[in-house]
Amino acid sequence: MGSNLRHLTNPLIANNPITLQILGICSALAVTTSLTTALVMSGALTFVLCLSSAVISLIRHHIPPVIRLIVQITIIASLVIVIDGFLKAYAFDVSLQISIFVGLIVTNCLVLGRAEAFAMHNPVGPSVLDALGNGLGYTLILTIVGSIRELLGAGTLLGYTILRSPAEGGWFQPLGLMQLAPSAFFIIGLLVWAIRARWTGQVTAPKYRLKYRRVQR
Amino acid sequence: MTAPRTISGVTLWQSFALVPTCIVVGSADVGLFAVQLIAAIATAIGWEALFALARHRGFSLHGLTTALIIVVLFPPDLAIWELVLILSLGVTLGELVFGGRGFGFVQPATVAAALLLFSFPQSALTPPSQAVALATLPGAAILIGLQLISWRIIFGAFAGLAVCIALTGQAIDAVSVGAAMAFSLVFLICDPFAAAATNPGRWIYGVLAGSLIALFADGAVPTTQAMVFAAMLASLTAPLIDHLVVLVHARLRRLRHV
Repeated sequence: MGSNLRHLTNPLIANNPITLQILGICSALAVTTSLTTALVMSGALTFVLCLSSAVISLIRHHIPPVIRLIVQITIIASLVIVIDGFLKAYAFDVSLQISIFVGLIVTNCLVLGRAEAFAMHNPVGPSVLDALGNGLGYTLILTIVGSIRELLGAGTLLGYTILRSPAEGGWFQPLGLMQLAPSAFFIIGLLVWAIRARWTGQVTAPKYRLKYRRVQR
Repeated sequence: MTAPRTISGVTLWQSFALVPTCIVVGSADVGLFAVQLIAAIATAIGWEALFALARHRGFSLHGLTTALIIVVLFPPDLAIWELVLILSLGVTLGELVFGGRGFGFVQPATVAAALLLFSFPQSALTPPSQAVALATLPGAAILIGLQLISWRIIFGAFAGLAVCIALTGQAIDAVSVGAAMAFSLVFLICDPFAAAATNPGRWIYGVLAGSLIALFADGAVPTTQAMVFAAMLASLTAPLIDHLVVLVHARLRRLRHV
């Protein structure tokens, strides 16, 4: 079991789906305007990822290779419909904001990527751990980005006021930029930069380098 | 005169060219301007020093130019923490992440001004005035004389703008349009590292920038906001324009010497 735990811990930072594999970026940009939506989206994705990996891993020997993608997407889509219905029933306000992105989990590269690359070739236990690890890696990044964007863009966290605006007697002027999608790009870019500065093994070799050559005079 | 070939030479002359404009803008409220100027210089040079230390590289004072442009463009009543935050983002994202001055493809002051407009939509950039435009002229003459900025871009921009305004059928008020464009054209659009670097490319880049200014301008006289966004978009295309010009040149050369 000890060796299986690396499937869980590896995707947190060392092989993070967003900052290393650069998967699932579109939803990471769209739902991180506030921490609440980021957390709900992360929960929904982790749920779908874990269950789809378990089911696909269970029936992996019975899936004909030619139609494997169709089978995988059918399983993922069924789970997405379940979680979307669940959110509409129990968290209607949040689901109004992120329902469209929950629906798009079907096409999220991260979910299909783990199903195709891992669950199709591994037993149920490691597959679920791998899915959970990737879901938590996704959650980690979305939580960081969502916290920064909500705090700087609205002065609140989870809806509670942290920094008060001049209208409320404080000094903080919310940054409109943080509520726009490009800011998530900037924050994820800076995160990737910080992670690769600390764990230098993740740095990709540059395609071109400057050549230092002595000039002949 | 030939152009100074070092980064510090470019910094020195560009900053020198900015001095008259800063005096004109700063004379409105000397105290407020001095505080902004010190905060801007400290921020820009501080980040540069930090990156120089982290990367074990030599250290240039280029933040000085960025800070001088920023204090002219930014509204005088902007809070200091807002100025420091926006300028930090502009300097790091627009220049230092690429490896410093000369390695990026946008002018950091343009990035900072655009970020300010996105972040605090209620704040307006300094409106252009004839006094600022007149103070820009000696600096522009020096930079053109040193070949640090290209007259082709300036003429291209005016031509592109004039054609676009003429197409809409509006009358062109040459004096006020020129006054509105002068500062941003010389220091943002013509920036030696952000602009196109081949001669045909400079014409194309200038015309493109002029057309973008006309597109973003609200009315016949462009606002500073329009200038900033035009400079931003034009400088993003500058590397592509140069690449295409070089490709065409190589093709023509090959045809001549088969």
